[in-house]
Amino acid sequence: MNELASSSDSTVTTPTKLRPTDLDGVRAAVLDTQGPIAIAGAGTAVDWAGDLGAVSSVLDTTALSGVITHNPGDMTVAVRAGTPLRALLDDLAAHGQHVALDAARVADGATVGGLLATGDAGPAALVHGSLRDLVIGTTLVLADGTIAHNGGHVIKNVAGYDLAKLMHGSYGTLAVVAEVVLRLHPVPQRTATLVLPCTLAEAATHAATVLQGPYEATALEWLGGAAEGELLVRLEGTEAALDPRVQRLADALPGATPSDERHSRRPGSDDSAARLNGSWERHAAAVRGAAGSASLRVGVLPSRLPDLIRSLPGVTAVTAGLGTGVGTVSLDPAGVAEAHALVHAAGGTSVLRSRPAGAGPPAWGPPPSAIAVLRSVKNTLDPQGRFGPGRFDPWFTTMRGGST
Amino acid sequence: MGCRAYECDGLTGYRVAPELVLLPRDAAQVAAAVRVCAQYRVPFVARGAGTGLSGGALPVADGVVISLARLKRVLEVDPVNRRAVVEPGVTNLEITAAAAPHGLYYAPDPSSQQVCTIGGNVAENSGGAHCLKYGFTTNHVLSTEVVLPDGSVVTLGTDTGEQAGPDLRGVFLGSEGTLGITTKITVKLLRTPETVRTLLADFPSVRAAGDVVSDIVSAGIVPAAVEMMDTLAIEAAEQAVHAGYTVGVPAALVVELDGPVEECDAQFALVKAICEKHGCTRLHIAGSPEERAAIWRGRKAAFAAVGRISPDYFVQDGVVPRTRLAEVLDRIAELGRDAGIRVANVFHAGDGNLHPLVLYSAALGETERAEKLSGEIAELCVEFGGSLSGEHGIGTDKACSMPKMFSEDDLAVMQRVRDAFDPHNICNPGKVLPTPRLCGERPGKYQPHPLEESGVIERL
Repeated sequence: MNELASSSDSTVTTPTKLRPTDLDGVRAAVLDTQGPIAIAGAGTAVDWAGDLGAVSSVLDTTALSGVITHNPGDMTVAVRAGTPLRALLDDLAAHGQHVALDAARVADGATVGGLLATGDAGPAALVHGSLRDLVIGTTLVLADGTIAHNGGHVIKNVAGYDLAKLMHGSYGTLAVVAEVVLRLHPVPQRTATLVLPCTLAEAATHAATVLQGPYEATALEWLGGAAEGELLVRLEGTEAALDPRVQRLADALPGATPSDERHSRRPGSDDSAARLNGSWERHAAAVRGAAGSASLRVGVLPSRLPDLIRSLPGVTAVTAGLGTGVGTVSLDPAGVAEAHALVHAAGGTSVLRSRPAGAGPPAWGPPPSAIAVLRSVKNTLDPQGRFGPGRFDPWFTTMRGGST
Repeated sequence: MGCRAYECDGLTGYRVAPELVLLPRDAAQVAAAVRVCAQYRVPFVARGAGTGLSGGALPVADGVVISLARLKRVLEVDPVNRRAVVEPGVTNLEITAAAAPHGLYYAPDPSSQQVCTIGGNVAENSGGAHCLKYGFTTNHVLSTEVVLPDGSVVTLGTDTGEQAGPDLRGVFLGSEGTLGITTKITVKLLRTPETVRTLLADFPSVRAAGDVVSDIVSAGIVPAAVEMMDTLAIEAAEQAVHAGYTVGVPAALVVELDGPVEECDAQFALVKAICEKHGCTRLHIAGSPEERAAIWRGRKAAFAAVGRISPDYFVQDGVVPRTRLAEVLDRIAELGRDAGIRVANVFHAGDGNLHPLVLYSAALGETERAEKLSGEIAELCVEFGGSLSGEHGIGTDKACSMPKMFSEDDLAVMQRVRDAFDPHNICNPGKVLPTPRLCGERPGKYQPHPLEESGVIERL
């Protein structure tokens, strides 16, 4: 039988809202309810991935907020998963530390748990990766109420399975992430960005210069429309060393204009915007997408990214991580299915993010080769399919059809 | 009789002769072997170079060992996309050797890197001296082709940080060979740093050296490596390799910075000032690549070298929050005094990863006391909010200590995920998670691996 009724179910009623304030409350919320549950954070990615199916409850994590422990000397922090990363960054800034994640929606109040569940990341992924690379432990609550810890509070740890990774990109389908322990990094003393107007094809050539040289850029993104745009290269470092480093890079990139973002780049904090290089604000806006457009996140071998993006239909805005191979494109919703196919043909992966309500384009491309074991993991952790119905349709739908 | 060569890994105290050892030549043969095992429910254990220190590659009685030694091709080095595709039997250092002509290298550097294989690194999520700044194997493997316990072949991970669904690659990495066998690995390569600066500094106490590490961290510096040795470890290393360490000082620190020349210069000046502020009694700066190599030779020799000051020893591996290092070391010294056993300490000070060396004499009947002390030290790390293992793994050795760190529910959930990969419990059974059968047995003493004795490998 299919517990995860589709959204066309005529018996849809308003879901019960659950808003636990602590770990035991999460457990109780899961145990005291029956049927499908949507796990919700700040709602900044509520329309990403597959359309959420009918649920009887919504588990709102936003009251699971605040730092549990932060020992600055250890450069780790344990937080409740509903904490907005922006708020955490404000707390950490006093210690000269940050979570090295600059996803665009951090500024919109995205929670730590939500950022983890959606596998989101920003330009800093070039050096620091995504949250999967920064999370060192989680506390999970399974659909049967089991509370499970994994990892710990130390950055170096190989004891047991790294189930925190399993939460990364799980879109709320496997377990409730209740607590997260994160590795921290020092906030750089200074940041500078070089901006070079160019086409995407030209940017790829410049990117090779940056990556092959000794510059150690911490972000490398092209931002533009279908043709014209600009290459953004970020350097971070110490007070004394940054100027000569910026000069060296500027010499290698004729036409680039450097800007100094002295002491100011605090990802996600409101007061950073005024002092930031405006290009990064435009970059974040392009990642968020435009009303009326579909936003597709793609990943492919970096050298293939420019050609792939140029081949996608109806593209209006692009950010392209030329070192990471990760891009975000805004396109006509009618072109999404074709775009998935093109990305897949190039050996990449794609997932639909925000799109006009009711547009109905497919969220995912073809399933990965490991789909069978992915379904087994889903079955073992959430055998009744309570969490996040629809998010991985049709990948998990097929499982339910096959197992009934 | 040939199977006896595979009866243990680097943890030589545990020995089980396998029924059969297979040496497949390619992924298809690995998959075929696993399919047969799956069909007849025969347990199998994957094996790389056998340098693991936790009994993770210990064979299973009546089972099969599948050696990946013949899958040793570097399939591709892609300098444009800064990655390499390799087979599991390629050694860690061979990846860097293949990448070096392009000015690239593979960052994780476990100290057995000359002989340990990338397949084993994937299984153990290996670290090394430079992982404070650069991360662990899990941060450097983009994707891995895996033969699952039913014999099917899948790819976990992608060519980028984007994922097609939850991060199964991240779960597989560090699963100690219990979720499948990797047959092809795509790793990230980094550009070789423009500059490397290394210093060796002596301190009047372990606490003073620890304060230096704290101040470096507070200054916002992320060193490429920060290593500490105590007086016993220094004495042993110096006897063994004459690397220029000062015998008799209570503690020595090795600090290494790398990066653009301007950053290195600025930060190195600051590190020197911090060392002096904390009463550094001698500061030696490597003036040449040879001097740098000598400093590292002394550091890396410490493990095997304690054999010179003690007939027998156990190697321990635990992690504590870095700020509690001094406290933990006091407690370890106390435990050692109570047991009448000496403990030498070598550790990755930047990330709190301790490698206490428990020195004893089997001939004097100290084995049992030493063994008990070694176990107590690992569990002490957990009490201090740390971990049972930073890089050597749980394997057979520490599976029975897992309940000290994780609740029954925590372990049950790990078991559920394991079952999702391996429903018939044939893939390296008995490792990582405690089983009643295993936990009735006792670990054996540390004995140097033959390759270690011959000087081919070193241990951190």
